[in-house]
Amino acid sequence: MTPENPQVMLELQDVSLSFRSSKGSFDDGVHHVLDGVSFKLYENETLGIVGRNGVGKTTMLRIMAGILAPTSGTVITRPDVAASLLTIGLGHRLDLNGRDNALLSAMLQGASKSEALGYLEEIKAFSELGDSFEEPVKTYSAGMKSRLGFTTALLTHVDILLVDEILSVGDAEFRQKAEQAMKQRISGNQTVVFVSHSNAQVKELCDRVLWIDKGKIRAEGDPEDTLAQYRASMKK
Amino acid sequence: MTLRHYFSLVDVQARMLLKADSSKFSLGFLWWFLEPLLWVSVFFLVFNLILDSGRKSGDFILFLTCGKFAFIWFSKTVSQASGSIIASQGLVGKVNMPKSLWPMSVVQESLYRQATVYLLLLLILVVFGVYPGAPWLWMIPVLAVMYLGIVACSLIGACLVCISRDFQKVIPLAMTFLLFTSGIFWDVRQIADQEKAALLLTANPLAFMIDAHRQILMHKQAPDLLHLGLIALASSVLIALSVGYMRKHSQYLALKVLT
Repeated sequence: MTPENPQVMLELQDVSLSFRSSKGSFDDGVHHVLDGVSFKLYENETLGIVGRNGVGKTTMLRIMAGILAPTSGTVITRPDVAASLLTIGLGHRLDLNGRDNALLSAMLQGASKSEALGYLEEIKAFSELGDSFEEPVKTYSAGMKSRLGFTTALLTHVDILLVDEILSVGDAEFRQKAEQAMKQRISGNQTVVFVSHSNAQVKELCDRVLWIDKGKIRAEGDPEDTLAQYRASMKK
Repeated sequence: MTLRHYFSLVDVQARMLLKADSSKFSLGFLWWFLEPLLWVSVFFLVFNLILDSGRKSGDFILFLTCGKFAFIWFSKTVSQASGSIIASQGLVGKVNMPKSLWPMSVVQESLYRQATVYLLLLLILVVFGVYPGAPWLWMIPVLAVMYLGIVACSLIGACLVCISRDFQKVIPLAMTFLLFTSGIFWDVRQIADQEKAALLLTANPLAFMIDAHRQILMHKQAPDLLHLGLIALASSVLIALSVGYMRKHSQYLALKVLT
């Protein structure tokens, strides 16, 4: 689905990230999270990132969102482009009710107060929390918390959407609804980077896939091929 | 991020903190008043009834109330703001926000809370027979400078704790040190050695600020405006420097918080 002359939205050039752990436990206390990663993200594409736990996927998203800076290498973003990371449960305050938490989360994702107030009824309806929306979040079940988190996140409007493991929320019925909403969002004019452990979701949603292993890109390209290589490596 | 969005977020976060805090306890927002009053009672018990400070009870209660109410504003805010970025670790890893947002939300929360505590202070003064007068208006610049000082110390504390969490151990100690050296339960003006008193007031701006509270509220005297102006200037410079540092090293601070 990549257009004819795709515009680069964001580019990572030879990006590495390492940090010194506060307790020098191994390798002189230096952890290498990413090691010479380079790739381009094109306008309106959906790029999937796969890899095992702890290989640097979330760190990569954080670098793309500008939360972290690489130790070496460069991140080039188009000047007018904002990237935002979507994760469920954007720091819920347990003593506050669902409504207040949704207001805070929406504002932290860049909405003004009046915009955020305008989203609240929509969030209440989509999350199907009903009267619980006015109850403190500490009374919520895990599924209810993730519904609230997903719904609030879904409403952000950004140029590059960075999605971290978001579609594993709630019960089967809500998950289906969430996937449907996400698909709608992705199929529009939206550039998306999508991290997921569900190969089926990646295959269905993504135009291109990066496979990350031990901080490096192992393979890149067509979802079917890349996922096949990734699966094959796990069987070894 | 526009300044307007920044300040409206600080305001909403502060209100939410207040709401969350008062919903946690069964006495709710009554604790805003109870806590400083209990402190004053403890100090009164120890220094007037047990150690016998030799002062009239009424005077000493007013003296303690002015000092302790102002000190609590400073110490509680700075302690809480210092740990605020670390406490929002989850959010710091998810949104690229100016790091000053968290300490500033705490500062703002305590400003809203302190506004009511100062009303209680005025009420206590009246109950003990000190009636309002025009010199009380001097409290406006004093409170503004107090606020600037609190913002400066909160931002610096938050940076230090991000850089090394070990500072979290030192800050409570620093607050206890200030409690003893700022003239909360003893009077700076009763130090016999004039030079020593002057040195203390210069070296510890909090001692000056607390003394200014008492001079204005209890004795209806104007504060030393030059001294006050210098504290305001120094605080403003420190605020500018720490905001600059936080902007320049936002990603470094995030890495420090996350690892």
